[in-house]
Amino acid sequence: MNVTIVTHRDGDENEVAFNYQKREENERPMVLDVLLQAQLDSIPDLAFRYGCRARNCGVCTVDINGKPRIACRARAREGDRISAVATLPIAGDLVARRDGIARQLQGKLAGLPRHNDLNVEAPDDYHALTACIECYACLDNCPMHARNFDGTTPAQISDKASLPDPANGYRWGNPFSLLKIQRYRLDPLTTDQGQKAGIELANSLGLDACTSCPGCKCGVGIDLKRKVIKPLLQDSGLESPAKN
Amino acid sequence: MSIDTEWLDYDVLVVGSGGAGSHAARAASEAGAKVLVLSKDPIGCSDTKISEGIATVRQCSADDDSEQTLSENLRMAGADLPLSKITDAFATDSIDAYDQYRINGLRPPIDAERQTPQALPLPMGGHNRRRSVGHANSGIAFGHASCDAVIANGGIDYLEDNWFIDLVKAPADDNHPAGEVIGGISYDAARGCLVAIRAPSVIIAAGGLSTLYFPKTDTMRGNTGDSYAIAARAGAELVDMEQVQFLPFCLTSPPSYEGLLCGEPVTASFLGVLRDNNGKVILDGVYLRTRAECSAAIMRAVEDGRGSPNGGAWLDMTANKTPPRSGPYFMKFLQTALPSAYRNARQAMGKAAARCDDAWEVRPGAHYHMGGIRVDENGAGVAGSGDGETKSGVSGLYAAGQAMGGLFGANRLGSTSLTEVAVFGSRAGIAAARHAQSTSVSDHLKDLFDSAIHNTGTHFGKPGKTSAAKLRQELQQASWRTIGPLRSADKLAEFAADIERWQTELNDVPIPAYGSWNQSFIDFQELRNMLDTASAVCAAALQRDCSVGGHVRLDGKDVSLFSTPYSTVVHRTAHGAFDSRRTLRTRTPIKRALTYKVQEKHARLKASLLRLMPATLQDKHLEKRYRAIMGASGATAMMPGGTEAATADAGNV
Ligand SMILES: Cc1cc2nc3c(=O)[nH]c(=O)nc-3n(C[C@H](O)[C@H](O)[C@H](O)COP(=O)(O)OP(=O)(O)OC[C@H]3O[C@@H](n4cnc5c(N)ncnc54)[C@H](O)[C@@H]3O)c2cc1C
Ligand code: SF4
Ligand code: SF4
Ligand code: FES
Repeated sequence: MNVTIVTHRDGDENEVAFNYQKREENERPMVLDVLLQAQLDSIPDLAFRYGCRARNCGVCTVDINGKPRIACRARAREGDRISAVATLPIAGDLVARRDGIARQLQGKLAGLPRHNDLNVEAPDDYHALTACIECYACLDNCPMHARNFDGTTPAQISDKASLPDPANGYRWGNPFSLLKIQRYRLDPLTTDQGQKAGIELANSLGLDACTSCPGCKCGVGIDLKRKVIKPLLQDSGLESPAKN
Repeated sequence: MSIDTEWLDYDVLVVGSGGAGSHAARAASEAGAKVLVLSKDPIGCSDTKISEGIATVRQCSADDDSEQTLSENLRMAGADLPLSKITDAFATDSIDAYDQYRINGLRPPIDAERQTPQALPLPMGGHNRRRSVGHANSGIAFGHASCDAVIANGGIDYLEDNWFIDLVKAPADDNHPAGEVIGGISYDAARGCLVAIRAPSVIIAAGGLSTLYFPKTDTMRGNTGDSYAIAARAGAELVDMEQVQFLPFCLTSPPSYEGLLCGEPVTASFLGVLRDNNGKVILDGVYLRTRAECSAAIMRAVEDGRGSPNGGAWLDMTANKTPPRSGPYFMKFLQTALPSAYRNARQAMGKAAARCDDAWEVRPGAHYHMGGIRVDENGAGVAGSGDGETKSGVSGLYAAGQAMGGLFGANRLGSTSLTEVAVFGSRAGIAAARHAQSTSVSDHLKDLFDSAIHNTGTHFGKPGKTSAAKLRQELQQASWRTIGPLRSADKLAEFAADIERWQTELNDVPIPAYGSWNQSFIDFQELRNMLDTASAVCAAALQRDCSVGGHVRLDGKDVSLFSTPYSTVVHRTAHGAFDSRRTLRTRTPIKRALTYKVQEKHARLKASLLRLMPATLQDKHLEKRYRAIMGASGATAMMPGGTEAATADAGNV
């Protein structure tokens, strides 16, 4: 099976052709298998992230033919083009810098009062949002996240020095951050004050972008539109409940 | 040298951001320390996050589950290798430590009557009480808790994509016979620089070593033995390093799924058995067995030439599912008890296996390391004879979680590690914060950092011809054969010689000069850690010449109930080899041990009788038992976001 792997070394981009050798006659390898074999047989220092091989750790996301996929659970196909996700700056080869995303939440909901009865059950939606593996596939096509990069992606900005430094946390939000905020709000331990702080944080990250957006898509199938965006918009008053 | 160095000052440096690291960071920060967390994976991405998410909560099903009961349970399961002050600490703190997860957002199902987290229907293998609690979304829920503890709740500094390389230590003096930690050096791959961190306390919470056996493992890629290698290079002692836990039921094929977890002994339920390739039963009463017993049974069949095509055995659960009344309950149990393991099984082996019409081909996989850095009950490094003394250990060095040894000895019971990381992460955090309050790193020690920085920096821009990936694969294949589930003196000696050769070849791995995400440098460092760790395991495995727990010697007897138990202790010599010795442990009084054995035998006898019952009677009896443990409707399952809707793994199965 022939694929193309896009490498990034010290600022240089290269397209490397690789021919995957099947290990079993009927093998339908995952993209991660292709990368592991490429590293073993032809690009010894190929950089890519992975961890669990089982769609749990969320770190192996790459773009396959321009769309974010979880490499350990995406079947490779003849002619696939494998590159780092376009929505984040590249650290090396297929490794994107993820740190600017979660960093924007650092300490943001700390120190608020909490209810103290630990023996309470959380609502189903709380668990539905906890299913997020932090794969960042949802950054794709998110206009709010794109605000960090003049409305495009880091890949399209040629002057890399002008990119915002992820080490400071991104100024504008994304579906993942909103999910974390909404999850916090659904937690039965969160007080009214916490509810409000959550909405304020969502607003400050640019929640208004969601009013004119067709909506986000999650890599593991969480219903972000209904379970995250809609309630946040309603409670922030950006969208009246009647409109839906 | 082409790479820059950033200097930082902290009270407590925590290496690792899984369960142990995040609890340690929170506890140290709450105790008033200025804390930095380093993590080579993104924050929270760790074994903790990919686990089955089942935790031990004492007294969640029965009031008589005393501290003593739990502590003794751990020690007996661990063949008396665990230290009682460490198992006592586990039992004493377990409830409160688990609650720290809840404070960080973990929401278990609640037993409304008892006002405690809801226990799973069956005790997990080897537990003498029902005290394991499952969680919606398995380990991912724990991943969120780790992440939130470090990031969202504030007050803690952190750096991810950051590989901790080595500790920096002030030389030994009268007060610090093994020297004193003054900080360490790390490589920040994302920012392309080295970081020199001055800190009087360092907590190693960097996980285990199972990547030595890749792909025959279900753990995270990052388990390259960094914890043990880094501590050993700084002069710390390691305990029970031969005790690697292999989970018996991991997948063998297709290649993408090789090594992933598909079940636990309890999965086999009342009637599941293990068969060799000729269909002969090699282990019955599987649900009552420890992980070590099941793994050994499979591997002995393989060694004997009766293994399955991919070097394992067959887990046959057909007898559970066929009976008309109890069968449906079993299927529900199978699907809900370990949801992500079942998902792996279904995707890898297909529908007939998922329905249990076909037996499952299973093979052990490396899962956890019981041994580790030798510490006291607060995670502080110890050394010396007996149980070891804190004042003889490396001062300022702490370990928690899978990095530490002394808690589980020869065998770890299921669901205990997620609690372990909370208990000892918190303890180490508090102890490290206290230590930092009474110590400071003086400026005149800068030279020591300068030479560590220099040594690390010289690797950038190094020529060579050896592929790190190939070398790693060679080591991994050899590890499975020699320090894997079946060992012998001959195999170990051969392995020790190979390690020496690989150590030399490692210096021939080329490393380019650029700083930003230099994968060759990362591979070099991880391989160096894997080799040091393999060396430590090999030395301990040679020292223990009989079989006990996770350590099975083909050329040695099983340890007897009457012999005096001992732990192995290894430490790294100036030449880089590992010296080993034994340290005696206290044996459980024979009377207690015999009672325990009799209880075990009794349970197994009952299980065999059950299998011999006439079919209809058996079916009725089992239906009653399933109903009693699961309720009439069967346990309720909560699965992560529906696979059908998943866009990122579209085109699967
Ligand atoms: C599939 C699976 C299922 C499991 N199920 C259960 C279960 O249900 N119940 C249970 O109790 N236990 C379970 N376990 C075991 C349990 O998950 C682990 O033992 C436990 O999570 C270990 O936690 P830890 O904090 O010690 O290490 P980890 O959670 O592995 O964290 C290690 C951290 O160290 C970092 N790190 C490593 N090296 C370096 C370095 N050099 N520099 C910087 N950072 C570094 C890593 O990035 C990571 O953040 C399971 C394990 C697996 C693999
Ligand atoms: S919301 Fe979905 S797509 Fe986004 S990070 Fe979480 S799991 Fe991935
Ligand atoms: S709905 Fe909001 S968060 Fe989702 S993609 Fe659109 S702008 Fe981004
Ligand atoms: S490797 Fe963990 S999600 Fe892919």
